Amino acid sequence: MSPTPAAPVERASGASTASETNCWQCGTAHPAALFCAACESIQPFAPGSDYFDILGIPRRVSLDARELEQRYFELSRRVHPDLYQTGPSQARIISLGNTASLNRAFRTLRDPLERGLYWLRLQGDDLSRDNNQVPADLASLVFEIQEQLENFRASGRPPAVRDELRQTRTELTTRRDHAFKELHDNFIEWDAGRADRAALTQELKSILSTIKYLRTLIRDLDRELEG
Amino acid sequence: MDRIFGIDLGTTNSLIAYLDGDTPCVIRDPKTGQGILPSVVSFPTPDEIAVGTAARDLAARFPLATIASVKRFMGLGMSHVSAEDRQYYRFADPDGADIVRFQIHERAYSAPEISAVILKELKLRAERALGEPVTRVVITVPAYFNDSQRQATKDAGRLAGLEVLRLLNEPTAAALAYGLDQRNQGTIAVYDFGGGTFDISILKLHEGIFQVLATNGDTRLGGDDLDRRIATRLLERIAADRRGHPDVVQACIRAAEAAKIHLTDAAEAMVQVRLPGLNVDASMPLTRAEFESAVSDIVDRTLGPCQQALKDAGLTRSDIDEVVLVGGSTRVPLVRARIEEFFGRRPHLDLNPEEVVALGAAIQAGVLSGRRTDVLLLDVVPLSLGIETVGGVMERIIERNTTIPVIGRQEFTTFVDNQTAVDFHVLQGERELVKDNRSLARFKLRGIAPLPAGVPRIEVTFMIDANGILNVTARDQRTGREHSIDVKPSYGLSDDIVERMLEESIDHAEEDVAARLLIEARNDGDALLRATHKQLAHATAEERPPIDAAIARLDAAMQTSDYNRIRDLTEELNQVTTPLAERLMDASIKEALEHKRVEDVG
Repeated sequence: MSPTPAAPVERASGASTASETNCWQCGTAHPAALFCAACESIQPFAPGSDYFDILGIPRRVSLDARELEQRYFELSRRVHPDLYQTGPSQARIISLGNTASLNRAFRTLRDPLERGLYWLRLQGDDLSRDNNQVPADLASLVFEIQEQLENFRASGRPPAVRDELRQTRTELTTRRDHAFKELHDNFIEWDAGRADRAALTQELKSILSTIKYLRTLIRDLDRELEG
Repeated sequence: MDRIFGIDLGTTNSLIAYLDGDTPCVIRDPKTGQGILPSVVSFPTPDEIAVGTAARDLAARFPLATIASVKRFMGLGMSHVSAEDRQYYRFADPDGADIVRFQIHERAYSAPEISAVILKELKLRAERALGEPVTRVVITVPAYFNDSQRQATKDAGRLAGLEVLRLLNEPTAAALAYGLDQRNQGTIAVYDFGGGTFDISILKLHEGIFQVLATNGDTRLGGDDLDRRIATRLLERIAADRRGHPDVVQACIRAAEAAKIHLTDAAEAMVQVRLPGLNVDASMPLTRAEFESAVSDIVDRTLGPCQQALKDAGLTRSDIDEVVLVGGSTRVPLVRARIEEFFGRRPHLDLNPEEVVALGAAIQAGVLSGRRTDVLLLDVVPLSLGIETVGGVMERIIERNTTIPVIGRQEFTTFVDNQTAVDFHVLQGERELVKDNRSLARFKLRGIAPLPAGVPRIEVTFMIDANGILNVTARDQRTGREHSIDVKPSYGLSDDIVERMLEESIDHAEEDVAARLLIEARNDGDALLRATHKQLAHATAEERPPIDAAIARLDAAMQTSDYNRIRDLTEELNQVTTPLAERLMDASIKEALEHKRVEDVG
């Protein structure tokens, strides 16, 4: 019998205390470095590293996209499996694991929505927790659009309604862009260390779910408009 | 340390290249000077194999024992074979079979085995040209190849006695070859329309880093389709009653291909075909406009993937700084016009579109061997990967266009109480329902403790390596036990079968070499015999007896398998006919000159 997806569970997170390990190649103890100081062999990322640690950038959620990309390219040039193809197999395995972690870290942090969701998890929170409802101001809009789409399909996709849907799409993207702006402002608040963290977390959750809903709606519209 | 070579294993043509210093070079056949090896394998008799040009020349005589475009069948099952395919190939297995094999004489050959013959020929060519062993290679594959197709390519490499260090996506390879001479910043689109496959890749170039943003394509769309469309017209027009004859179909395809190539520069072509057995030429005029209207829907099928790739990259057409063309089909003027129209800019044509992929593979081989440290490729997985869940829905674990290598994890649980085993079905594709996606493999996880439904937690890990090939592991989170899983591929060869084939091929290695030498010797002998017969009428009375004797001796030797003797006697005949041939040559030159003089006067 096929499996069913399991609901996500909370994982104990928290930095590992072991900041010192030994090089797999020469045995020299090294403080969580990517390359052994003695023999220069590649080392795995320290266990418990978060995405900011992996990329070696300050833990700031309002990060500079260009700096992030620069850092990603720099690290790729040092850990990518292409560079370890003819080396010892252990180095090859480590390079593979490190690059997979690096790719995931970059993919998550470069996208503001994914980065926000990740930041929320770093705070020990999750979007699904006490937030299963459509954001209040969006609820009626979601309902309206679903109805519009159904009418469009039922009436044989008349051009007039198509234009209406295009108009709706424009409104939605404007709204989405605005929500991204709010998200950015929220990120700056976090980094400034000002405001109350609980309030910031609530605000972050509300913005993130708004963006998620808007994105789904836009995708539904696109499907109908293109199809 | 052995050098690493780059191989472009194409649908129509294959090439092998290497780095000479820092410069990538295609290796040419020392005898003919050809860089391109037609990807054709022919078995004129059960014991003979011909590869490349020799095999292509045998196609009309042995249509069902000659396999062209084998790449179209890599990693497929019989369910993917079309009715049209059955016109051109004879398959060995029943409809539902999970592997495609060609029935040739008394044997069945899988697609990787046929590809291995081509790879061995390239290996031999490089060894002869450079005088060093060829053991480690980078082989290119269409970017849109799925996991089964990639596995099949790796299997072909193993069967050819090669260590495949990397599978490299063809458009990425082309970008690598281009990127070196071009500006080293910017966003480029690589449009790769080959003999049997189509790829579009969008890349960002940044100081030697080639970052693929998105890729899309169709692994069953290429120049072959253009040829077949014209061949079908030709058949209807001139040979409708002989449509079922493989030799007629083969001849029409060759004629269609020749006309297509002619129409690259000319406005009109004559599609000419000699109908086998009839010894008459049939012909049909074809203008470029007629050709274009006949194939325009095929060319248009490449534009949807271009649109999707741009969208996935989060870009619009105006964001593209350069468009690079790869593959022989991009020589078709209509294709160029459509691309220019779509991207709103003139595409790049600086490098030979047939060689650029092999050159890129050689550069990547240089990266892997540490000879080139100035470039790095960051490629993506072309299609999403996931697991079948209850209800026949695909749960995605890795999304398409994710940079590789990548590791994805997802937890699953049981559906009924006390369930102790779970069946995993690994899928690839973009659709919601399992049945619309490609099945890659199945495995069963046993030994789960009997617990209420939903309580066990099984973590499935997908790891895609730098070749774009998937490795799956499953782990019971409660016990921490990693389950050894027996992955049965849905299509293609299992590891055991590849091993067995390898053992057999080692046994036959010597016979294989003998077989190819025999074919080469026979082809050379045959060509000389035919040329001699044409000239015989002009021989003097003194010349005749030694020539006749040499012909008789060579004729007799041609019936045997002694290739050394055939070669020696070919050489002997060559020597006794040289004075005659030279005399005839002089005469024809003289005639040509005289003819010219008359024209000059007129």
